[in-house]
This record gives sequence, structure tokens and C-alpha cells, in this order.
Amino acid sequence: MAVSVTSPFVQALNTHAETLTSLVEEGRKAMGYFCHYTPVELIHASGLIPVRISGGPGDVEMAYNLAPDFICPYMKRGLEKALAGNYRFLSGLVQGYTCDIACGMANIWADNIDGDLFHILPLPYEDTEESRRYLQIEYRNLIDKLSDLGGNFSDSSLEASLDIYARIRTHILEFYQKQFEGKLPLSSSELWQVIQAGFVSVPETYLDMLEELQAELISLPVPDPTGVPVLISGSLIESPNILDFLESRGGRIVADDLCSGMRSASTTSRSSSDPIERLADLHFNRFPCPSRSRAEDRLPLIQQLIEKSGARGVVFIFQKFCTPHLSDYPFLSDQLKADGIPSVMIELDESWQADAQMGTRLEGLFEIIEG
Amino acid sequence: MEKTRKSNKRLQTAKELSRVVADYYKECGAAKADGRPVGWMPPMNGAIEIFYAMDLQPVFPENWSPVCAAFGLTPDNFDVSEGMGYSRDLCGYLRNIIGYVNGPINDPSFPLGSLPAPDIILSPGGGCIPVMKIFHALERRFPEAKVLTSDLPQVAVEDIQEHHIKYAVEQINRLVAFLTEVTGRKLDMNRLSEVVQLSDRACALWDEIMTYRRFIPAPFSAAEMGIMFVMVTRQGTRIAVDFLEKVLAEIKERAANGIGVIENEKIRLFWDNIPLWYNMGVFNYFEKMDGVVVAETYSAAWSLRLDTSNPIRALALKSLMSYPLVSCVSIKKRREMVLKACRDYHIDGVVLHRNKSCVPITLGQMNIKKELEETLGIPSVIIDADHMDDRNFSTAQFQTRIDAFMETLHAKKQSLAMKIP
Repeated sequence: MAVSVTSPFVQALNTHAETLTSLVEEGRKAMGYFCHYTPVELIHASGLIPVRISGGPGDVEMAYNLAPDFICPYMKRGLEKALAGNYRFLSGLVQGYTCDIACGMANIWADNIDGDLFHILPLPYEDTEESRRYLQIEYRNLIDKLSDLGGNFSDSSLEASLDIYARIRTHILEFYQKQFEGKLPLSSSELWQVIQAGFVSVPETYLDMLEELQAELISLPVPDPTGVPVLISGSLIESPNILDFLESRGGRIVADDLCSGMRSASTTSRSSSDPIERLADLHFNRFPCPSRSRAEDRLPLIQQLIEKSGARGVVFIFQKFCTPHLSDYPFLSDQLKADGIPSVMIELDESWQADAQMGTRLEGLFEIIEG
Repeated sequence: MEKTRKSNKRLQTAKELSRVVADYYKECGAAKADGRPVGWMPPMNGAIEIFYAMDLQPVFPENWSPVCAAFGLTPDNFDVSEGMGYSRDLCGYLRNIIGYVNGPINDPSFPLGSLPAPDIILSPGGGCIPVMKIFHALERRFPEAKVLTSDLPQVAVEDIQEHHIKYAVEQINRLVAFLTEVTGRKLDMNRLSEVVQLSDRACALWDEIMTYRRFIPAPFSAAEMGIMFVMVTRQGTRIAVDFLEKVLAEIKERAANGIGVIENEKIRLFWDNIPLWYNMGVFNYFEKMDGVVVAETYSAAWSLRLDTSNPIRALALKSLMSYPLVSCVSIKKRREMVLKACRDYHIDGVVLHRNKSCVPITLGQMNIKKELEETLGIPSVIIDADHMDDRNFSTAQFQTRIDAFMETLHAKKQSLAMKIP
């Protein structure tokens, strides 16, 4: 039954290139981005469709003519797809400096992929009066660049975009709340599909889809929980197979700390008369990515997720060569261990294939938890 | 060729460098006894001048890693950090320094007297991710140290605008206020002015030294790159200026007398990316095939002149520009810089070090490679290695690639010579 309620999202994911190409042919513009530190509200308020680049499982060939192999699968595959012409519908890229690779890759795209605007947003780290003033100037500069591209920005269009994205985030967080409580009638891979669809859909359409889904979920039965409850932590999961694999080995995902998951929706803004201030709030209030924060800042948030969801262990699922996550891992795993929360770390390459060794390690973790 | 080797140096002044290095670490060790608080910080920003102006002791953990590599101590440090759970895929600077501070830091027999524990940590928001993460780990290791998190958004050099400079100026002022609060010392603006003048004088000398690389034969090579030590640790001091004046005098004399690195220089090379600190001897490897590594990317980060009439603004600009200049923040600017160096120094071929320990510098290399070939007709070769971890360096593979590359360059040069009537 759950398959039918998520099928619009699966379809949106599978056909997004065709959908966006048609929209662009009709006169709309689409703007790419890598991660959710990009102010998508601002792109949308300028009349463009923000589209998150995806890598997905597959081979890397052409991208190795432009980048080394020791960068994350997401960036390699995203470039591969762009070089293959899969992102012809984009007018360019807007990307905040999050990790080194995101910045370098945006520059490589600028040099090698057709587009009118490749903009790297130099984002502040500290939340101070000065940094907010600075960030607002950066936002205004980006608005000017998007206007040069034919964008039609106004404060009221930004208000509207902020409201749409806020409603989207509310729905997603409600799904997570249900997942914490064991009341979500969707599997982890279905929830993954629902969220990923939002990264490549027109926000208004996506919001309608979410509202419909919320209504349908009410009547769906919740399956009895089986498996050891765990939290998964990492950057992007680019294939739902890995989630199914984890659950097939005896785990049950009850929460996530993923930038392709809950982190993408975890931010808030104060109500303010100035929409640019609201946008700055969203930047500073995010559930932080390790590329922009200390592990010490992230630990209490992960601990809260564990407490809320009843997770009894953590599976760190990292993309290979992800410096921000790999750097924080020793501290986080030690601290969780001290809390009595065991963890395991698995790394995945661009094939996104789990192997037998990973299965054994996961089973080992679940056995430890079950005693 | 061995896997780890020191380079053969030709400059007498470069040989004096070991004394300069030893004196610096001796000074670091004596700082606490002398009543000077010790601050650990990343290099390539304006904090060093502020520290010297306030008579505080700056220490650079990033720079300590090459020192550990030169003494062959990195494998032990890697063992410690990897034992803590740090992946081998992480930057070697990160694994080395985290291993060192959690391992042999208090070993009295450690070379150069080891490093004094920090009283102050300047933790960067900005720069590259590994450096940011190094400082987070240092905060954890030295919880008693006072910490200032700096905030310097990474902006491409060609995109720097007034609001970026204003923000960076605010950050420098924030640093001064923090140091005043935690040390009780005030910044004397006249003293800062002197320090910035010395720093700018060092940059001017550095630039002048670099211009002698255009001479054929080259009076010095990348094997002498250790002289950069004073630009990292001594900017803003008379020590840097005095040392660089000596280096310049010697290089001038060598250039005037046509004394090159080798007798029969035929091929001039450019090295992109950080050198192999555990094997600076690779720069000498080219010499048996009449090649000299005349220039390299890494030295460009120190060529930033300072506006001495406005010291705080000058330091803000320096802080904004240094990292983007040599990294993937400004691939365009870096490419222009490499191409300019290749023209100015009459380069025949470029060695691109695909450096597993430094993705920010490695990203963009392929675009540089393409541009070198298309715009200047200069061939290049990629060598896979790592600036810190010799486990990621294969001597045999290096030799095979370089031998073949040098043969190509000789053949190209010969065929060009035959075409000239």
C-alpha cells in the first residue's frame, strides 16, 4: 500500500530531467546547487527553480579528466553527469563554500560546463552582528546576479518563497517526528524517496505532493517495528539500497543525521519584517554540517535525536574521502560509546554497493546492542 | 632514489636555515619562561604580525608537520592518530599533528625541543577544512587554552570587494580585543606599523628573490624551498628581513656570475602543489637529466605586498588573499599565476603533483594542465603522491614517469633547435 502513496515522488525523481527540460523550454530557468547551505529561497524568489545536483550510483570516467579520484563519490558522479549532458537544463550553479570540494568543483563546473552563472557564496561561520551584516550584502550581490540572468526578485517574492519552504520543512519534520514515535507508515527508503524528490521538483508542486501524502498517511496502517533501532549519520545517501541493506541485516532506521535527510529540513527563522533577515536566520540556525562546525556542536544534537527516537546504536555511513565527516568521527564515536551507544562506520564508493564485509559489521553491531 | 631523502642544497644561506629554524623553536620553547604567552594558529594570515607586535609567541602546527617529516617522525605520529580512528584518507598534516599532540609532544628527546603547549588557540573559520578540523582537535587536546574562533569567508581573490575587506578588518580588530583581554597586553599601533613594514620588506625581498628565477641557468631551485620557513614563521621580524637579504645577495652574485644549480641546465621545470616534505630530494632527481625545478606554486602565497600606510587593512587583505591564491577557491587566479610563472621563468615542462593530502590545491590542476598545453604549448606530467605520507608515494612509479617526461622534453627541445636555421 505504501508504494502507491510514494509513487508520485518516485515518478518525480525518475522524470525530473524531462520535467525540468520542458519547463526550461517554456521559458523558466533552473539553477543547480550542491548542498542546502545554498539559499534556495533566494533563487526561487528570483523566479528560478533550484535543483540539487545528484550523483547517484554509477561509473566515473570523464570526470577523471578534470578531478582526482580521491574526492567524494557525490562530486565525482555529479560532474560525470554534467559532462554527459544530463544537466543541460541548468543555467548554472550557486554554491556556498561548505567543504573544499564543493568550492573547487563549482569552479571546475564554471570552466567546463555550459551555463550563465556560477557563483560561490562566501559564507560566514560565526553568528554575530557583523557577520549578519556581511551575509546580507552577499545575499544582495547574489540577487543582483540572478536579476542579470532575468530573475525578478522582490521582497514580497522572497516572503512567499520563505513561506513555501517553511511549509515544506514542517511536513518533512513531521514525517521524522512520526518516525521517532514508530508511527510512520513508510519504510526508510520510501522516506528517502519522498525527501529526494523535493530537491529536483518545483517547490509549489512538491508542497502539494507533501500535503496529499500527509492526508493519505493518516489512513495507512503502521507495520509492527522489527529490528534494532539505529540512527544513521553522514552526508548524502545517494541510493536507497543501502538503507534496505541495513534493515535487511537486522537494523531499523529510526532517525537520521544526513544532509540528504533530516538536516536539509532542520532550520528555523524568526518572524521578521525583513525577509533577508529571515534568510540569514535560516543560515545560522541550521542543524550544522561538519564542514561548518565543531563535532562538539553536533554531538548534543545527535544525542537529542537518539533520545527522541529511541535509537540504540549509530551507523555512520560516509561517502569515501569525505573529510568533514571522517575528521569528526573519532570524537563522535568515542563520546557515543561513553554514553553507552555503540556505533560502526561504513564507507561507500560511487557504486553505492554494500558488500558482505559491511553486512558482517552491521550484524556485529546489532548483536552487540541486543546483547 | 630512496623513498625519503633530504635535498642537496647549493646556497650557503640555505644551509644557514637550520640555525634559523633551531632558533625559532628555541624561542618558542623559552617563551613561557620569558613571560610571553604562546598562541597556536594557522599560517597565511595577518595574526602573525599582530602576535609579534604584541610580543606574543606565534606557533604554527601546520608548519611543524614538515619539520616532523624532515626528521622522519611522521610514521609514529600517523600511528597515534590512526589508532584514534582518524582515516588514512585524511590530510597528512591533520593526521601528523593530531598524532603528535596526542603522542610524543612531551617527549624531552623530541627534536628541536618539541612545541610548547598553547595558552591561546586561534581556531579558523575559513581556510581549508583539514586545517579547521586540526584546530578543533587542538582545542580538545588543550582545553585550558583560550580560544578565539576567527571567521574569514573564503572568497576568490578576483571577487574581493570592499565589504569583504571591511569584514576582515572587523575580524582583525576582534582578534586584537581578544588578545588584549586574555593577555592583558595592549597593541601599540606604532609597533604594529614597524612590524608591518618589516613584513612588507620581507615580501619585497621574497619577490625580488623570485625574479632571479628567470635567469638561465637558474641560480637556485625548488630544492632550496626551505627558505620559505621565515615567511611562514618570522614575518614581521628583523630576523626574516636579515635572512632574506643574505639569500638575495648570494643569489644576485650567482646570477651575475652565471652560476647555476647544475653545470649543464637544459630543461627548466615548474612544480605545482606542495612538495614531498619527507623527500625534498626528488627535486634533485631531475638534475641527472639536466633538469632544474626552477619554480613552484607554493612560494606564491608569500608574495603579497602590504600597504604599510594602513596596517590593519593590510593584514585584513593578506588574511583574505593568501589561502584563495594557492587553492581551489580561485582556480582562475591560480591558473593565471602558473601561466605567468611559466612565461617569466622560461619553463619547458610542468610537474603536477596530484597530492592525496591536499585536495584544495589538487582540484583545478587538470584545467591548468589543459591551459598550459593549449595556450603555451608546455607539456606537463602528473605524479601521484602525498606531501606528508610516504605510503602514498611510489619511488619506482615516480622515476618511470619522470624519466619518460624528461625524454619527451629533451626530444621536443632538440626538434625545436633543429628548426632554427
